[in-house]
Amino acid sequence: MLFNSYFFIFIFLPVAWLGYFALNKYKMVDLAKSWLLGCSLFFYGYYNPSYLPLILVSILVNHAITTQLQNDKNERHKTSLFYFSLCFNLGLLGYFKYMNFFLDNFSALTTIHLEPLKIILPLGISFYTLQQVAYLIDVYQGVAGEKRFIDYALFVTFFPYLLSGPIGHYSEIMPQFESLRAKVFNYRNVALGLFVFTIGLSKKVLIADTLSGWVSDGYLHPEKLHFFHAWGTSLSYTFQLYFDFSGYSDMAIGLGLLFNIKIPQNFNSPFRAGNINDFWARWHMTLSLFIRTYIFTPLVKCMPKTTFGYSMIAMFLAMTIAGIWHGAAWTFVIYGMLHGLAIVIHYYWKKRKKKVNYFLAWLVTFNFVNFTFIIFRSRTLTEAKHVVMGMLGLQGFQFPKMGISFINKLGAKMGPYMSNDQNLQLIIIIVSFILIFKAQNTSELQESFKPRKRLAVLTACMFVICLFGLNRVSEFIYFNF
Amino acid sequence: MNKNEIMDKLAQTIRTVFENPSIEIKEATSANDVDEWDSLAHISLIEEVEKAFKVKFALGELMKLQNVGQMADLILKKSAK
Repeated sequence: MLFNSYFFIFIFLPVAWLGYFALNKYKMVDLAKSWLLGCSLFFYGYYNPSYLPLILVSILVNHAITTQLQNDKNERHKTSLFYFSLCFNLGLLGYFKYMNFFLDNFSALTTIHLEPLKIILPLGISFYTLQQVAYLIDVYQGVAGEKRFIDYALFVTFFPYLLSGPIGHYSEIMPQFESLRAKVFNYRNVALGLFVFTIGLSKKVLIADTLSGWVSDGYLHPEKLHFFHAWGTSLSYTFQLYFDFSGYSDMAIGLGLLFNIKIPQNFNSPFRAGNINDFWARWHMTLSLFIRTYIFTPLVKCMPKTTFGYSMIAMFLAMTIAGIWHGAAWTFVIYGMLHGLAIVIHYYWKKRKKKVNYFLAWLVTFNFVNFTFIIFRSRTLTEAKHVVMGMLGLQGFQFPKMGISFINKLGAKMGPYMSNDQNLQLIIIIVSFILIFKAQNTSELQESFKPRKRLAVLTACMFVICLFGLNRVSEFIYFNF
Repeated sequence: MNKNEIMDKLAQTIRTVFENPSIEIKEATSANDVDEWDSLAHISLIEEVEKAFKVKFALGELMKLQNVGQMADLILKKSAK
């Protein structure tokens, strides 16, 4: 189910929310949790119930194994059980997400032709696998306390973050469902939740969805992109991705607040970053934290020594894995590798202790990120190559019809790929730049939040404007990962 | 070892790892306050701390550390076991 749909906003959410607090009010705490679990599963299976058995099996198996791990005293048993469970989780992810990619490449490299299997990527599998693997590792290392099935299942499936994150850590989320305070209706959290949800909805509906049309147009025939159009397409995608995904995260955080659950921040003005390391500390922050904690750190520990060189290898590998996590395609592998390489270069540079002027550092960082997002968006490397060639002017120049658009009204055509709303595209890109640099980000707004009448009216107006935009309901980009 | 002693030893370890004897370490000091303290330096620091205090941190424990004071608390908790 999509957050940006009438059914979610006007039927699902009120029913789930009222039911949860009503049951809590009558001290039926476990029933309230079961209700929320049921609602989350309904939310998950709404479009396609065939995904449900898989997530249920995953939860049941992980719960059974982690409970066994917590009770078993035999270290050898525990180790084999842990590795079995790790293989189970990665195996599920591998099969459903990477099997066809593997078969495809196998066929290409050998003379044996393997037919691709009919596998549909189950929604959110990358996200719920990550959450469960982190829990599994912590149980194995003896730092995760015991849990009941209902708490565990609710932690995995809680609908605000189930499909696309922010990726929650059980140690942050589970205790919140336990706390008594969370069970009582909290006016401030409701006001703040609605405010944050509306910010997210506006980012998605007003900016990301508006940009998405130009992005699809541009990527339809990348070989025909001229200089300005190529830049417009590429910048549009960069901002679409940011407003789409950070909008989704804001909505999730806002929804969490409605249930008195604090979901971790996922973005902190990433495009203000002055280096690539800083970018990853601000972009998809919960993924960065998981990668650093559960992939990079163990990789460094596997190395023969903790030297600068070995740490750099670990960093490169961790970022490559982060790239593949996004999807089964060479474009994602290359995306991850390029970021890994950039971080390695950053550390070498930092080691030499040479300071760079912020603007120059920002320019390089932003353009690098924008460039890698072309690879991220493209279905093939050839497609990416064409967009880049366009941006370098190698596919020709064609001046945008800024200021002379009136000619268009007389029936004159400006060029084959100059859409009528190009001025609007430019305006939205400029507005995006201004928002990114000048506006407070959602967490800053959250911190300074004071429930005032004027803000309530403003939020309500934004909300209503967004509602009109919902007739072009569109999926979130990160649903595909 | 009590917490003050742990803090002193921790401060010493941090200064050695970051090769900067002038870093002032308080309980509230975090990676954001020290220029040299990035994810790379963090790994070396953890390794040195594990050696110095003869403790082993779990991955999930490292994830939650926000500042030096919390690290000292964790060491205190682990060495008490």
